[in-house]
Amino acid sequence: MEIIMAILAGILFTTGVYNLLQKQLLRIIIGTALISHGAHLFILTMGKLKRGAPPILDKTITDYTDPLPQALILTSIVISFGVTSLLLVLAYRASKENGTDNMETLRGNQND
Amino acid sequence: MLFAVFFPILLALIIPFLSKWKTTIHTGYFVLLAPLSIFIYFLQFIGTDFQTRSGSYSWIPSLNINLDFYLDGLSLLFVLLISGIGALVTFYSIFYLDTSEKLGHFYVYLLIFMTAMFGVVLSDNVFVLYTFWELTSISSFLLIGYWNFKERSRYGALKSMLITVFGGLSMLGGFIILVNITGTTSIQEMISQADVIFASPYFVLTLVLIVLGAFTKSAQFPFHIWLPDAMEAPTPVSAYLHSATMVKAGIFLIARFTPIYTLSELFFVIISGFGIITLIWGSFMAVRQTDLKGILAFSTISQLGMIMAMLGFGTKAAIFAAVFHILNHATFKGSLFMVAGIIDHESGTRDIRKLGGLMTLMPISATLAFFGTFSMAGVPLPFLNGFYSKEKFFDASLNLGESSLWIAEILRVAIPYLAVFGSIFTFVYSMYLVFGTFLGEKHLDKLPKKPHEAPIGMLIPPSILIIGVIVIGLFPNLVNESFLAFTAEAIYGKPVETHIQFWHGLIPAFYMSLIVVVVGTILALYQKKWRKVYDYFPGKLSFNRVYDWLIAKLESYSKTLTDSYMNGSIRRYMILILTAIVLVTFSVMLITGGFVIDYSDLAPITIQEVFVALAMAFAAIATIFTRNKIAAILILGVVGYGLAVLFVFYRAPDLALTQLVVETITVALFLLCFYHLPNLRERTEGIKEKSGNLIISVAFGLLMTMVAISAHSSKAFEAISQYFIETSYKLGGGDNVVNVILVDMRGIDTLFEIVVLGIAALGIYSLVKLRSKKEAE
Amino acid sequence: MISNLTILPVLIPLIAGIIATLFHKKLTLVRIFSQVSTIISTIVASYVFYYVIQNGTLVLESGDWMAPYGIVLVGDLLSVTLVLTTNIVALAAVFYAPYSLSDEQESFYFYTFYFLLISGVSGAFITGDLFNLFVFFEVLLMASYALIILGGGKVQLRESIKYVLINLFSSMLFVTTIAFLYSVVGTVNMAQIGQRVSEVNQSGILTTIAFLLFFVFGTKAALFPLYYWLPRPYIAPNPVISALFGALLTKVGIYSIFRVFTIIFVHETAITHQFFIWIAAFTLIFGVIGALSTNNIKLIVAYNIIPAVGFMIAGIGIYNETALSGAVYYLVNDMIIKAALFLLVGAIAYLAGTSDLRKMKGLIHHYPMLGWLLFISAFVLAGVPPFSGFIGKLLILQGAIEANEIIITIIGLLVSLLILFSVMRIFIQGFWGEKDAAIVPNKPLARKLMLPVAFLISFSVFLGIGAEWFYPITEEIGNNLMNPELYIKSVLKE
Repeated sequence: MEIIMAILAGILFTTGVYNLLQKQLLRIIIGTALISHGAHLFILTMGKLKRGAPPILDKTITDYTDPLPQALILTSIVISFGVTSLLLVLAYRASKENGTDNMETLRGNQND
Repeated sequence: MLFAVFFPILLALIIPFLSKWKTTIHTGYFVLLAPLSIFIYFLQFIGTDFQTRSGSYSWIPSLNINLDFYLDGLSLLFVLLISGIGALVTFYSIFYLDTSEKLGHFYVYLLIFMTAMFGVVLSDNVFVLYTFWELTSISSFLLIGYWNFKERSRYGALKSMLITVFGGLSMLGGFIILVNITGTTSIQEMISQADVIFASPYFVLTLVLIVLGAFTKSAQFPFHIWLPDAMEAPTPVSAYLHSATMVKAGIFLIARFTPIYTLSELFFVIISGFGIITLIWGSFMAVRQTDLKGILAFSTISQLGMIMAMLGFGTKAAIFAAVFHILNHATFKGSLFMVAGIIDHESGTRDIRKLGGLMTLMPISATLAFFGTFSMAGVPLPFLNGFYSKEKFFDASLNLGESSLWIAEILRVAIPYLAVFGSIFTFVYSMYLVFGTFLGEKHLDKLPKKPHEAPIGMLIPPSILIIGVIVIGLFPNLVNESFLAFTAEAIYGKPVETHIQFWHGLIPAFYMSLIVVVVGTILALYQKKWRKVYDYFPGKLSFNRVYDWLIAKLESYSKTLTDSYMNGSIRRYMILILTAIVLVTFSVMLITGGFVIDYSDLAPITIQEVFVALAMAFAAIATIFTRNKIAAILILGVVGYGLAVLFVFYRAPDLALTQLVVETITVALFLLCFYHLPNLRERTEGIKEKSGNLIISVAFGLLMTMVAISAHSSKAFEAISQYFIETSYKLGGGDNVVNVILVDMRGIDTLFEIVVLGIAALGIYSLVKLRSKKEAE
Repeated sequence: MISNLTILPVLIPLIAGIIATLFHKKLTLVRIFSQVSTIISTIVASYVFYYVIQNGTLVLESGDWMAPYGIVLVGDLLSVTLVLTTNIVALAAVFYAPYSLSDEQESFYFYTFYFLLISGVSGAFITGDLFNLFVFFEVLLMASYALIILGGGKVQLRESIKYVLINLFSSMLFVTTIAFLYSVVGTVNMAQIGQRVSEVNQSGILTTIAFLLFFVFGTKAALFPLYYWLPRPYIAPNPVISALFGALLTKVGIYSIFRVFTIIFVHETAITHQFFIWIAAFTLIFGVIGALSTNNIKLIVAYNIIPAVGFMIAGIGIYNETALSGAVYYLVNDMIIKAALFLLVGAIAYLAGTSDLRKMKGLIHHYPMLGWLLFISAFVLAGVPPFSGFIGKLLILQGAIEANEIIITIIGLLVSLLILFSVMRIFIQGFWGEKDAAIVPNKPLARKLMLPVAFLISFSVFLGIGAEWFYPITEEIGNNLMNPELYIKSVLKE
């Protein structure tokens, strides 16, 4: 299963990067969201899947899944959320201000 | 010695205050104090009982960078030159520079230069030497740019700095390697390990690097091009830095390192080869010039080449002749520069085509110039010091040792002829200079000012130098035995015979001098007929053009190159970055055998999971193809919620909950922000762009998958999380291990995660609010 | 407990940043508060620095969870040196800010973002945990996002997007790579990772992961071929923000490379570190070419970040004690001089009314001090002795020769020349020449803007001339970096 998950995360990265390489801001941001999903899936996969119960202690259970990746993902989800929100508002403002959402026309030149 | 080195720069600190009263008392008088006192102080060391002395002061002992000063015959000669000529030039400048100029600046730069120059010639520590060396370049830069409102002046300043700093850096490279070979930073200790250096594989490299430093500083071909442009500096500066002292720092450097490098024939080939080319080229080009200072600049280049060539010969006689000529050149060239300055000052021009017949108007200057130029030309008269050194030069050129290197052998045979050839032109430009200026027709109408003799103050310094020319000419052994003998000894390593006579009999060198005078006179007389040569050679060919071309291309190419990839396109940046990551990481994986796959320790595959995974994969791919923005955002939501479902499968209830909440808010935010933006358009990129994007993204995804599989297959250790499970309740007081980790074991993470969210919130707030405030206004 | 000292440089700015939000509209108050807090923070950082010099590495196990299980904060000599330098830069920035920023920018939480940036940077320097490093990266990046867009118009917003996107991508790559590493070695504590990697002799997959990490940090550090995002976004915001970015952000990336490639991945130096030398060569060349390509004075300075980073990465690549201590010296010097240059160029552009070099002339007649400060900083930057850039460069080059790396030595020397040229152009074209009658000098403002710059530059000059006081420290750092077991021992206490 880990291999399938690794492939899935790889697909998320692939599609994310592909979107990232597009011109339109919205697509680019969708790309970043896909990449962060991919990253979280990778983290989870790296901690061995389904090797025990959810890491909530119970006297009767001895095997638990690795709790550390979960904790890391939680932190990371929250952080990505913050960044994505900021990026969204920024993208909105930037495209309003510059009158376009096409990143290729947002190149700018040296003198400004 | 410490005081001597730093006295000028300390004086420089108070000059800005002293210059406030420049209208009452010319700032130059205060400045004079420094070179004069140092000159007198060092004069006491002259004598047949001269002993080397040294002094050491800690600076950065842990790096072996200390102010180690070392005074031997070589440094003594230079110290006296720097302070002696320095005093004369300062005195001269008092009359040359009007009090309306920014005297404070001028003298501060000049004093910094003096410190730098004393430092160069007295330092035994290579890094300290380098420090002062760059300081001379910097002060020279400032002095050339003194009249920086002139375009030429800025050009010359930059040029001189680039070339000399280039040389300085290369010299530094050489020093670093030498220090690495010998394990010491002291030049004297390096000399004692000369054989170790010679045996090192880096021997040639250090030689080339150090020679580059010397050649750029001493304006050797083809690095001479900065010197003529440096003539934009006020004339006292040209006389001082660009003729008598700074340009001789390169000579000093070669002389200092001669005991190390003389072991190699390559030293002779490089130093004498370039020296002799410089001699010829400089004297040949000097005749072409029309600016008095231009002639003198090329003449300086040529003379430096001659000294360099003699150092390269490496024979006893040659080294002595070189030392002798260093002194002689300083006397006659210094005075000639000062006379050129007088002419410029009094007539308003330095263009030799406009000058002529000034003899009657400026008799004293004319006399000084006659002595100076004749000495420079090496006219065989017993009261001109230039003759002696020139004849010694010829003599030495005829007595070079045999050599095993073929190129050295060719050079050895050719050098006497080349020497005569170069000296003929030296004779020609000397005559051209003095006769063109002082004899012939007067063109007073062409001159901006009516010329008259200079004030006495400006005449004293060149007169003193010319007296030096005559005295040394008449009694050469006066300076030789008590003084220059030690200089030559310091370079050669053994005592050197220094007795000089005017008349040696009809030796070959005398015939060579005679040829120079006869052919030179003929060429000088019929100058007009052959001047056309310069139109063909070098014509438009010059190293100046190479420099200008280099600088222009440096700027234009760097612009073209940089603009070619720094085009502001985020796509381009990402593609370049991703390509680098993919290529390098794949290669590394290949080289190290990093890819491993191990099926033994995997979770079982279940239908539900596969189904969710497929749905997510499809949704992810669909985001690329959809054209409706709302649809795209919702499809993205499918991926996010799918992930939450996977979290449930994989026993991560907290994650699933968080992911659900976050995903919902994110989708809402997406919708909110993009409600106002244009819909997704047909992707318009061409097939090339498309396939490029596809290759890059697939390769990157593949890379990540492969690394993930390998990483999972090479678990080598028990994860630390076992400890968390064991201690979560005992020490953390919670059953939910993930929560305990978050709030306790990794509490700092969580604290700062909240900080991140807080900043994001404030950032968004200011992003929205600051604008609406602006719009309201 | 004395080891709590370690967290103070992170905590003080954090708390100050939070307090500053409370009265963000009261400009006078918030300015004074920020200045006082920064001074306090600097004093504390100096004390921590002093303490570590006297007593050795400080290790704080947060929440009393023993290493390697909890997050450890490690104040070793390298960390505390950089934290102190950060505070010195911050000090100059906070006194420059009121005269450079608009009142609106100030009141919209500039000081909060500023403090949190400092907190994040200090945290990144101090943490001994790889995932925690990621979190601090996010703190400083988020603060930098907020700063870069602060009160921006068209251009600023446009450049900010690029900046955020690239950094977001590399952050995601970072966190993924941490997961890969965790999978192989089962820990995120740097000391323990180092220990475990050496136990399996850095197997192939670990070297591969090492390269991924290198690319993550290299993107933040602006190495070739990853630096494209840097120059233009860096000059878009206000000079004081550019200065903080230029001085601190890329340096955190470099610091991380220092850490990771001296503690963890040191068993395949023939692949990793040799690769860095090549990267360094290209970074040096392309960076300085960029600096020569433009007439925009701010851009000249921004591009100059890149070759400086090149020198440091060369130091790591050469990987011997001399080169590493040189790289650390260079790093400290560069943080200070880059901040000074950004502030300086910002002041020049403001006072001259343009940042286009072709439109400037003769500024020295109006602002002589400004000109001389620029003149000196050009030499500091190019590494001309006796200024501080020289010591670092000399050591790196000496290290290169010890390792028989002649090519990088020669490139390093040539690039120094071009660096000097690129900055000296500003002096020659902007300050020399005839007086520009169009300029109405504003000397009082110039003086206020120059004071922080003069403070930084004199500190930098002091670093050079007084090298004897500082070199032993960097020498010891170099020694520590070459002996990772020292770090591992002090953290894991085995």
